Amino acid sequence: MHGVRGACPSLVGSMQNAGVAISLCAFVLVGIVLLRGIVGKCFKLFPLFYSYMIYVFCGSILMYLVYWLERQAYPTAFWLYYLVTILVEFTVLAEISDQVFRLFPAIRNLGRALTIAISAAFGLLYMLPVVLWSTGRAAALLDFALRASVTKAVVLAALLIAARHYGSELGKNVAGLMLGFSIYLGVNVANLAAAKLYGRALYSEIYWMMTPIGYALCLLVWAVALWEYAPMPRRISPVAGRDSEAVALELTRFNSELSKLLHK
Amino acid sequence: MITLIYAGIAIAFLILVIGLLHKPQPLDPDEALAAKSHAPSIGKGHWLHLSERIFDPSDARWLAEELAFPKLAKSLMLGRKRLAIHWLEALQASFDDLVRTPKITPSEAPEANSPGSWQMLWLTLRFKFLVSYALLVVKLVGPYHRLIPSFSWMSFSPGSERSFRRAAWANSRNSH
Repeated sequence: MHGVRGACPSLVGSMQNAGVAISLCAFVLVGIVLLRGIVGKCFKLFPLFYSYMIYVFCGSILMYLVYWLERQAYPTAFWLYYLVTILVEFTVLAEISDQVFRLFPAIRNLGRALTIAISAAFGLLYMLPVVLWSTGRAAALLDFALRASVTKAVVLAALLIAARHYGSELGKNVAGLMLGFSIYLGVNVANLAAAKLYGRALYSEIYWMMTPIGYALCLLVWAVALWEYAPMPRRISPVAGRDSEAVALELTRFNSELSKLLHK
Repeated sequence: MITLIYAGIAIAFLILVIGLLHKPQPLDPDEALAAKSHAPSIGKGHWLHLSERIFDPSDARWLAEELAFPKLAKSLMLGRKRLAIHWLEALQASFDDLVRTPKITPSEAPEANSPGSWQMLWLTLRFKFLVSYALLVVKLVGPYHRLIPSFSWMSFSPGSERSFRRAAWANSRNSH
């Protein structure tokens, strides 16, 4: 994601330059998002998301340094950073899942539970087989990235459907996080699938162009959505708000009434 | 072919996200009130007593065995089945209202994942599963069938309520 994805040294041609230019724009956008986070004091409100942004910012600087200072080590460093980033991107999902049901005490952890359950199931049944039984390192890496993106897209879709079901209004910040990440994932899934089909010879230049474009679009949406903190809107509810303890006791009462009925 | 499938997944995913991110239409106040009227609070005793009558087979048995009116007993059973379904759906609606209840004073900072909130999530999911199961059984075999053979391992003793109250109290202290 990766400010410097477009700068892979094995590339040639004008598309590579365009990719590098877009990657630099993406890097600037990461800086803007971080700067606005500092100015708006949003770090405490979205801790996982900003940790991820700091990771991307520092990782990109590190990659540029390796690219300029130790070019021979760059491909190895790049692919290592790429692999770690695939996993680190799950923190964005963790942040979204924490925010979606924050106002509802009874289901505050539903987002986190959905994220863990879907990621674990897809990780075991869909992503792990590629690592274990794939032929060739390049194919395995491409397939792993593709399947990880599909897994993230499924988690995001499940979170959105659950949020819609429980009438959770997301607010500008969280909706922006979701929209930006969705654009990135959508582009990534299509791009990786095409790369897998057409192979390196035919698709590599387009790949190194499309990936930074997808990420730059995502960052643009994030920068606009997180420009300033917007509290989550509260839907006018027919019932008055309650504290966590009152809701907990009501939940217990509902469960015990149903249990009594079921045991008859 | 695989690429086309993945491209389809990507496009469908983006359409789904954009569709779901649209603001849901706010409920008309009259509509909300009407929806609320068939989902009374569980705190109301008479509503709970109603469930005892609905799920009690003695009336139907009395009609069928003592008065020898099997047709009338069957018709009563069908009526009770409709009532049982309506009662369970109202219970579910009332529970969903509770789950959608916002906090009184939300702190803007994200809260710690305390054991209390995981326990509340467990109670929510457990209820949803059990009420769906109960509805299925009532729809398939009627209200006078024993709903669960034995779920004794999922007991709800007063002790567990006390421990839950403690966890919820600790949770509310953490959040302030």
